[in-house]
Amino acid sequence: MSQSAPNIRLPLCQLATGTVGRVCELTGDAQFCQRVREMGFGESACVTKVSGTVTILCSVNGNRIALSHGAAKNILVEPLDRR
Amino acid sequence: MALPAHISSTVANPSSARTPIYALVGNPNCGKTTLFNALTGLKQKVGNYPGVTVEKKIGTAYSQHGQPITVIDLPGAYSLAARSPDEAVTRDVLLGRRADTAQPDRILCIVDATNLERNLYLLHQILDLGRPVILVVNMMDLAAAAGLTVRISRLEQALGIPVIACEAVNGKGLIELKVAMSRPDLPLARHAWDVPAAIAPAVTELQASLVSHDRKAPFLARAEALLLLTDQDSVRVAGSTPLHARTEEILRSWQKYWEGEGTDWAGALVNSRYDAIGRIAADVILQTGETGPTASDKIDAVVTDSVWGWAVLGAVMTLLFISIFTLAEPPMNWIDDQTAVFANWVQRVMPEGDLRDLITTGVIAGVGGVIKFLPQILILFFFIGLLESTGYMARAAFIMDRLMSRVGLNGKSFIPLLSSHACAIPGIMATRTIEDPKDRLVTILVAPLMSCSARLPVYLLMIAALVPGDRVPLLTKVSVMILMYALGTLGAFGFAWLFKRTLLKGAPPLMIMELPPYRLPRVKDVALNMLERGALFLRRAGTLILGISIILWFLSAYPKAPAGATDQQQLAQSFAGRAGHLLEPAIKPLGFDWQIGIGLISSFAAREVFVSTMGVVFNADATDDIAPLRHAMLAAKWPDGRPLFTPLVCFTLMIFYVFAMQCVSTIAIVKRETNSWKWPLFQTAYMTGTAWILSFMVYQTGTALGF
Repeated sequence: MSQSAPNIRLPLCQLATGTVGRVCELTGDAQFCQRVREMGFGESACVTKVSGTVTILCSVNGNRIALSHGAAKNILVEPLDRR
Repeated sequence: MALPAHISSTVANPSSARTPIYALVGNPNCGKTTLFNALTGLKQKVGNYPGVTVEKKIGTAYSQHGQPITVIDLPGAYSLAARSPDEAVTRDVLLGRRADTAQPDRILCIVDATNLERNLYLLHQILDLGRPVILVVNMMDLAAAAGLTVRISRLEQALGIPVIACEAVNGKGLIELKVAMSRPDLPLARHAWDVPAAIAPAVTELQASLVSHDRKAPFLARAEALLLLTDQDSVRVAGSTPLHARTEEILRSWQKYWEGEGTDWAGALVNSRYDAIGRIAADVILQTGETGPTASDKIDAVVTDSVWGWAVLGAVMTLLFISIFTLAEPPMNWIDDQTAVFANWVQRVMPEGDLRDLITTGVIAGVGGVIKFLPQILILFFFIGLLESTGYMARAAFIMDRLMSRVGLNGKSFIPLLSSHACAIPGIMATRTIEDPKDRLVTILVAPLMSCSARLPVYLLMIAALVPGDRVPLLTKVSVMILMYALGTLGAFGFAWLFKRTLLKGAPPLMIMELPPYRLPRVKDVALNMLERGALFLRRAGTLILGISIILWFLSAYPKAPAGATDQQQLAQSFAGRAGHLLEPAIKPLGFDWQIGIGLISSFAAREVFVSTMGVVFNADATDDIAPLRHAMLAAKWPDGRPLFTPLVCFTLMIFYVFAMQCVSTIAIVKRETNSWKWPLFQTAYMTGTAWILSFMVYQTGTALGF
């Protein structure tokens, strides 16, 4: 895995399709943060963006999770590599 | 690892004298229903948890010695920190908070082997409850196909509870599971995890207060304390049993302290659970095979594509509607025929009189007219079950989320709105999975605008009256139908947009939804679910609709006309006829007279009743062929000799039926789902008001243009 630009943080919705990102911060309200953590998006989890621009489809711990744009905006990730 | 002091290392079956109660819990899509069906077969009882409209499923399994074991199938949940009414029921039953449901003696927790780490989160919370737990690791075959090996004995060692490898869909592992369930005693979990140091004193203090002030059982108090500290909304966690003021005070003071310190207490607890789970998962899961794209990945590349996804969804929906309307036709006709045969038989064997009339024209015609929609409802639920079972339904919600978000709803509202095309009742019941209460309410409010199958007979009659000649060209029929369906859908989306910006203003919906891997459908489960829905529908037809049919019969049969009066004269001077006359000033601007008014009043029970009422009003048999009724309607005139059913009036009447809330059953179900009369009354008012305004605009504009 080659690390490219490890210091950039961007919302999950802006992560390029096919790219892996590491969750570094959850910015929504407490209820939202708790739910996404329970779904596997805890800080330091690796997320792959599979498809989508408005509604995002991503893969985390081998699970497929659909997130609306508003939800994906609240998950800040650090891009790790490009497939 | 030390055990909590209040529990011993094994727990004997507490129910040597009575049937042991197992609660079956698990994440959504982990095969819970399949396991429940496999354990209990058809020995199931489906009802509702009082006060909430969450389905309560209880079944009986048998131990290896033939002893009965009660199994409660709890709604799927990702966590005990409940977000939706379904998840709240799971939490409350497990915590023994529901007076209507006995607290389970033991817990059967099912997890998906392909998705073990995430699924273990719920198990981790359940082990806090201090109850004997059996862990069922399901879908071992799918895990093996994905190159995953789950080391069951290591998992058993790490947790200290029985762990059964299972393939519920093939029945593998069921014998081992029944043997484990039959054990007179079960070990308690070696469950110790490091609560973050900053949080641990608060857990201890809250636990003590919950025992002394809230009278919680000591073994549950720790679990309750941890739950209170996982969710910022203590009122929601406490559910229907509010916290004692002292406990609330302890909680608030700790929260204030952590906020001052900048500690993310809720996040810290979730993360420390994941750390503990991560250590277990690293030890028990072996990735032995290749990790290339799975079959699900390959299908998703097409099915969730921004262009192909819509094409697939369009094709699936077209197939669904064609099936509903074509496959259901023969059984619907059969039910119609049998209803007529039965009514004729009653007519022959019973002496003439009011009782015979009540049974034939009130009960048989009323209930039969609704039961004939059973085939459509069964087909719809069979298809929805298939789509859910294969995993496609979640993809459809994903595709639709983009469209739904424009009107302020999320993709999860798509399934209820789709179901409402067959009948608003299952559609409204399907809103229970929507987590946000405002989104759920908006979906309930707009669902009856989707053209349901009960509107079909009205549309068909009006199209027949609209078009000259006895045979309506297929193209005309289809075009008018599509127009009516489109108007209903546009109306639903328009009102959703309006409600989300005014009455039920809320934050933009945030959808977080798991897309399960594609699987072959489990036809047995789909069929069982379909039969359950069918039974619920029949139960309603046998109670509410029966009652309404009797009332309507009374209103149209009394007061009695003088002897020798025709059916039409009887109806004209009955209570219903008088109501029609009373209603006429309000509906005259829409081009409707008192006779149509009777139809509008009677069809308030159910829309399709309009057709049979018109049959009585115009003295024409509407059971087999609508041609005689069409002729009678076209011959109807206003007192000044103008024809009553002009093409414009027929069209206006269809517009009225697209928007009006003409369905008592829907009103009853909305009352039950929202637990208040406010929303069904508001819904009736806004829908009927819109129907009147739009019908007025169409009729008056059409008249002005010379139609």
